[in-house]
Amino acid sequence: MAYKKRLGSFGFVLRPMRRTGGQVWQSLIVGKPNTVLYPYQKLNLPPTYRGKHTLDFKRCIGCSNCVQICPNDCMWMEKLEDPELGKIERPGIDMGRCMFCGLCVEVCPTVAIHETVEFELADRNRDRIKFGPKELRDDSYADRIVEERQKRQVPVLDLDKCTGCEKCAGECPEMCIAMMPIEAVGKAKPEITLPKCTACEKCIVACPEKALTMKDMYESYFEMPEPRFIVKNCTGCTACAKACPADAIYMMDMPGTEKALKDGKKSKPKKRAVFVFEKCVGCGKCFRACRFSAIEMPGVKK
Amino acid sequence: MNLYTFSYGIIHWLVDLVNHLWYWLGHVLPWWFGDFFNAAGGLAASHGNIAVFAILLEVIIILIVAVINVLNFIWIDRKYMGRMFDFYGPYYVGYRIGGWLQNIADGIKLFVKEIITPAKADKLGFYIGPVIFISSSFLALSTIPLGRNFGISTNASGMGVPASALIAFAFFAIAPFSILISGWSSNNKYTLIGGMRSAAQMMSYEIPMLLTVASVFLLAGSFDFMGIVSAQRDIWFAIPLALGFVVFLVCLVAEVEIQPFDLPEAEAELVEGWTTEYSGMRFGFFMMSSYLRGYIGGAFATALFLGGWHGPSLIPEPIWFLIKAYIVFVVIEWMRWSNPRVRVDQLLNIGWKRLMPLAVLNLLIAASLKTMGWF
Repeated sequence: MAYKKRLGSFGFVLRPMRRTGGQVWQSLIVGKPNTVLYPYQKLNLPPTYRGKHTLDFKRCIGCSNCVQICPNDCMWMEKLEDPELGKIERPGIDMGRCMFCGLCVEVCPTVAIHETVEFELADRNRDRIKFGPKELRDDSYADRIVEERQKRQVPVLDLDKCTGCEKCAGECPEMCIAMMPIEAVGKAKPEITLPKCTACEKCIVACPEKALTMKDMYESYFEMPEPRFIVKNCTGCTACAKACPADAIYMMDMPGTEKALKDGKKSKPKKRAVFVFEKCVGCGKCFRACRFSAIEMPGVKK
Repeated sequence: MNLYTFSYGIIHWLVDLVNHLWYWLGHVLPWWFGDFFNAAGGLAASHGNIAVFAILLEVIIILIVAVINVLNFIWIDRKYMGRMFDFYGPYYVGYRIGGWLQNIADGIKLFVKEIITPAKADKLGFYIGPVIFISSSFLALSTIPLGRNFGISTNASGMGVPASALIAFAFFAIAPFSILISGWSSNNKYTLIGGMRSAAQMMSYEIPMLLTVASVFLLAGSFDFMGIVSAQRDIWFAIPLALGFVVFLVCLVAEVEIQPFDLPEAEAELVEGWTTEYSGMRFGFFMMSSYLRGYIGGAFATALFLGGWHGPSLIPEPIWFLIKAYIVFVVIEWMRWSNPRVRVDQLLNIGWKRLMPLAVLNLLIAASLKTMGWF
């Protein structure tokens, strides 16, 4: 064993000197130091880095899911009028309070919010780091397929190849790889917290056994709350259909509810709301719009 | 032409230049006014006056050279340490010359900082500690000649102080006392521990170091740097006294209090050691004079063991001397940033159980070489 060899006081002095001398050779004569001279050089950030947000106006439907999920309350909805899109409602972000958790990006049902690699957001004035919807606007995603952005790359572990060397856990800059003991194998294997992963591929490079590979993923982590409709309370006022940002609610005539009027004509039939759950984004706007408690939505604040 | 005659000539030329005015005034002005200016001119042109100012000019020249070297040393220390730990050292301030101006920027920053004297400190000791530390370091500097003709001397022969090496080591050994004074007078437990450690440290390294120096005196047959260096014209003393050179280097590191032996200023244990309570430019002077001591230490090692200014005559003598001193300093810095700090008891063990017998052995080698008649 190398470390059990007894070193004299001479070796005790000279061995560290050999190590540092080799480092000087590496960083002064052969190459350059490992650090980056920040204002002049910048790190190559992975494309899934969580930086300043952009908002695609054409994709956004104004459902305010992002505002609701934001843990720091740093987003708000702003009403504006757009020459192309008409009267719309779009979110703004206060970067001073944002913690770049990326929940708004993940919860967005139409993939309208994206995070860019831009991270230089500091300013002398606090109002200038509050970005309204117009400042966040970037419509370049509108023409692409929705899934293109939803697709992300995540490392996937091959348990047979893994030797439990912990190199990937040491390399991960986001600290999202933890070594978990697996009883059946008798060794610790890496467990990857996928929401924190930025797909920088450092663990892939570090793995000596090539047990980790990058794979595409389309999944969303959020279960959408769905509205529950109580027919007997519905008065057919159409408030929910107007409020719905995703056009998931339309009003339907109920046959057989026409009343005979005095002059012999029949009145208009009663209406009720019909929900298209495939379109629903679970934003709860209909729940808030309904004044007759005909819609229930567990897990959504009024 | 040596440094003395050079500065004597410059002062003489300046005095002549001014004396034109004096004698002209003496010629123009009536009566005793004229006599006064004539007498003033005569006094200014006298040998004693010119010699005093020539020595002052010598001191200023040596001081400027030393301060430039100290700035270089701090720069080398930071840059080299940075590369050793895999980062760029100072970079932005003066980036065309490798961040060299960073030291000057730090100096300006220290200048504008407030100087605080602790309320419970002993004022006299607190003020006098840095003065002794810095002045003893500069006095040790004054004895070192950088070349055959590049040292402070008081006459045209160019010889410095007789027995200058002895005097230099005497001045160099004053510093622990000033550290003890300033550490004790700061009235702070960290500074006091630092000062006491300095006194304890001195006990362990001073004797082996002076024994190795004594072996050099024995071989050279001289007590001053001129004689020692001229005795090394054929062979450097580092070759026959290789053992002594290693012992001397280790003791030198302890003497100038850099890292493996910087017990008085151990940042990990004592906050900033004995300089904890000093702020602003007082601390700046401490830091500067600690690097100055590094420079002086490198110069000692060069003069005593590495042949001083001897080398191929392609490069002038002072440059040879400085190159060797820089190499010694770089090796010391290499040791500094590679090795962990020793404990007090470990330092005493190293000093008394390892270095002391080796120094005595080295003295025996030197004595035997001398009795063989080889030197």
